[in-house]
Amino acid sequence: MLNLSINGQSRLTDSPPDTPLLWVLREELRLTGTRYGCGLGLCGSCTVHINGQAVRSCQLKVGDVGAAAITTIEGLDPANAHPVQKAWIEIQVPKCGYCQSGQIMQAAALLSQNPSPTEAQIVEGMNGNLCRCATYPRIVGAVKRAAQMMKENQNP
Amino acid sequence: MSNTSRRDFLIRSTTLAGGAFLSIGLPPSLTGSEAQAAIGATPAYTPSIWFTITPDGVTTMHIVKAEMGQHIGTALAQVIAEELEVPWDKVRLDMPLESAENFGIYGLAYTVNSGSVTTEFDRVARAGALGRVALIEAGCKMLGAKLADCQASQGRVHDKASGRSVGYGEILQKVKLDKKFSYPDDFRKVKLKDRSQYKVIGKSVPALDIPGKTNGQAKYGMDVFLPGMAYGALAIPRSRYGAKVLSVDDSEAKKIPGYLKAVKIDDSMGKCTGWVVALAESFPAAMKAAKALKITSDPGPYGKLSLQDIMEEFSEKSKHPEESAAWVLEGDVDAALPAADKQLEAEYTSDMICHSFMEPINCVVQHASDDSWHVHIGTQGASFLRMTLTAYLSKILNKKAEDVKVYVHQYLVGGGFGGKQDYDESLAAAYCVKELGRPVKLITTREAYFSTAFPRTPTLHRMKAGIKDGGLSAMNHDIVCGWMGPRFAVGKQFNNGTDWLQLDSVDGKKQDIDQWSIGGSDHWYHVPNHRVQAWNSDRTTWAVQASALRTVSNSYNMFVVESFMDEIAHAAGRDPVEFRLSVLNGKGGNRGIPNTGYPAGTPSDYYMDQLWISLPWPSPGSWPGYESGTVGGALRLANCLRVAAGKAGWGVKRLPPNTAMGVALSSAEERQSPTWVAGVAEVTVDPATGRYKINKLTIAMDMGIAVNPDNVRAQIMGSALWGASQVMYERLTYKNGAIEQTNFHEYTPIRQVDVPAFDIELIESGRHPVGVGEPASTVVAPAVANAIFNAVGARVRHMPITPQAVLEAMKNRKA
Repeated sequence: MLNLSINGQSRLTDSPPDTPLLWVLREELRLTGTRYGCGLGLCGSCTVHINGQAVRSCQLKVGDVGAAAITTIEGLDPANAHPVQKAWIEIQVPKCGYCQSGQIMQAAALLSQNPSPTEAQIVEGMNGNLCRCATYPRIVGAVKRAAQMMKENQNP
Repeated sequence: MSNTSRRDFLIRSTTLAGGAFLSIGLPPSLTGSEAQAAIGATPAYTPSIWFTITPDGVTTMHIVKAEMGQHIGTALAQVIAEELEVPWDKVRLDMPLESAENFGIYGLAYTVNSGSVTTEFDRVARAGALGRVALIEAGCKMLGAKLADCQASQGRVHDKASGRSVGYGEILQKVKLDKKFSYPDDFRKVKLKDRSQYKVIGKSVPALDIPGKTNGQAKYGMDVFLPGMAYGALAIPRSRYGAKVLSVDDSEAKKIPGYLKAVKIDDSMGKCTGWVVALAESFPAAMKAAKALKITSDPGPYGKLSLQDIMEEFSEKSKHPEESAAWVLEGDVDAALPAADKQLEAEYTSDMICHSFMEPINCVVQHASDDSWHVHIGTQGASFLRMTLTAYLSKILNKKAEDVKVYVHQYLVGGGFGGKQDYDESLAAAYCVKELGRPVKLITTREAYFSTAFPRTPTLHRMKAGIKDGGLSAMNHDIVCGWMGPRFAVGKQFNNGTDWLQLDSVDGKKQDIDQWSIGGSDHWYHVPNHRVQAWNSDRTTWAVQASALRTVSNSYNMFVVESFMDEIAHAAGRDPVEFRLSVLNGKGGNRGIPNTGYPAGTPSDYYMDQLWISLPWPSPGSWPGYESGTVGGALRLANCLRVAAGKAGWGVKRLPPNTAMGVALSSAEERQSPTWVAGVAEVTVDPATGRYKINKLTIAMDMGIAVNPDNVRAQIMGSALWGASQVMYERLTYKNGAIEQTNFHEYTPIRQVDVPAFDIELIESGRHPVGVGEPASTVVAPAVANAIFNAVGARVRHMPITPQAVLEAMKNRKA
């Protein structure tokens, strides 16, 4: 039995330690906001935060997580109040929405490490996340907007 | 066709435990209460068609169209809210259950062809307007006012004389509404708002489905959990189609904890051929087990076939014009070509691509204790899924079809693009449920998805043109491909044995012809002598399982037609924009059809009427004042071209070296349901490597009315990038009967780094609103091809355009 720290809560799993974290989150703990897209770390749909870093949960074995803090889209802010979520809604980014949890988690991690990214840094930082609806231009716009909101929050 | 009594519509209020409600639609006894009972849901109100108002003032719009990124629910809700006069912040959406009962009410739950706004706008506007009329009458009585003094706005009925008002919710609590409207007579008569009065239509309200997509709460089919549910993973079949499983050895799989069993899927309906599903207590265990199974299969009739064989067959077929079927026949091409001053010939080809939506194919199937079957899924074709699964279950359970009850629970669709209208997964899952006696969640891994994808057919085109007196005198377009229409079971199986996906050729030979594989070639340019003829490779259709992919045949035909139009312009020594404008003169049928709906006569007028046959509604063409989307025809396309060329700075903008613009037009999807669009691509080519970058896309689109302009822009951007992706990167290959690509390292859609700048112009001509989710995708590939030619003189006649092909074409360019 493994004890995971997910969204600030302790959650137990009896999945075998070699199970990808993605499937433990989605199918066992039913945090279905984390999406399966490719299983090889190629699309970014399953992105979560491990100690604040964006990680492809399909590539991380649950037995390797240890005591690290896992944040899923459900833990970012259920009320959509995180600046990235607010910007995503303001700019109306999602279409089918399937990849967007991963996009948002990637963007949130990017901004926590680099609060003022250039456009080129945003493109580079988001390039690993596929979107078949091609919401790409709005993603770049929303990351910029979120950066601006985060600054405004710091200097009211 | 439903019976006459079902055509009567009621506006009524009824008191339930939850309070009064108002619904426009059929009496609740017909709206699927049986279905609700069957799934054991709480006996709450079952949504009737279109909308429900509850006493709290909330209006819930019932959206039968699949929500897959186009925000269709928001658009249709805007139309209803506009006419019904309800406040937007009290509008909600839901998705009705698909069942045999509801099918008679909603009609076909089928979301394809960028057709939802085109076909629904007028109907739902009238439903909203009737609701408003009924509420005004009731509110007027409550206020003791004169009807002439009363009007509705923001969910309240106002009496101008007294200045008093009453809310819709309060009316529902106090007045028993039981006004009956006849269909279609009252629907025809009801007065719609003048467009100058629109307050919600044309406003960029935020999409109602977005907030759930930013906090993880949005529910797709894969997010369903049922008690006792097992998981299924598909083992990669030996070939794409036609394999026969000979043996399954699960001795290694048995060592995996949680493994349940391997199920060889019954493929007697010609679907799921060669499929074996591994069942387990968890999905990771099912995936492991699927890999551990030792399966021997006969690869079937296509087991040695490769893409090269297919292309060779296409080439051979095209040498036999007597075996072709004609789609367009105007003038006399055979006489006009030799009479031309200059003749042009070119051969074009396109590769297979597939939808590769981010949400892989999946579903959850349950066999309930009352013997009903339930499919939880995000699908584009809930109605056809139900029909297909009913036929399958009837077969495998040896029951009469009418004794098989199937219900389809619709969820959000994680990308469709035309690829979620085949139903193999639900058949396979249902078969597993039958074998296991438990609900099953079947998920195709990305690898299993690619191996069982439904690709766009490969194509071969032979083009000929005649130039006389500097103008276009003749054009011939030969198309060889696998036709998708015959494969879709929906036609022959469910339409009394007639296949309405197949039309008659126009050459008098009475041959079947498949508009889905040829459409787009019947363009709006005035060519006095014009012929399109087509050959079907039935083997290809079945071997690769050719299917509909975003804009269907337009996605390759516009690449070919628009590239070739540039070739003609250059050969005639004319500017590609000026040349196109000269043949977009709206002569003859190219001015479009006015207000009379869809008269029969030409093949492409056939589609919409035939589709409507499946519905309990008359075609909207029968409404007074209804305007066909084709009105204006070529002149609207010319207008788009002027706008796009002007905005892009065609012929005047200063450009860096090896950089040029290319232009292309499209009227996707069908000739009978066009959206007018022009695109200009600015492209820089590296002459050393053949690599190219799309710097900017300028798109001008006339969609009549932009119901939600911000969303229209989003749709245009996304679909244009889809076009960029297919011209730059997307390609499936086929060898030994199987698709070779397995995941996103081998099939590489466009990513952030290749996104160009955009300039999008919406042309709101005020004409009937048409679909915007797909058409822009068709102009990008030819515009890019034409820009590459204009930049470095390389004419690439194959899609996708690889850097190697650019280099090759540069070597072959004329000095």
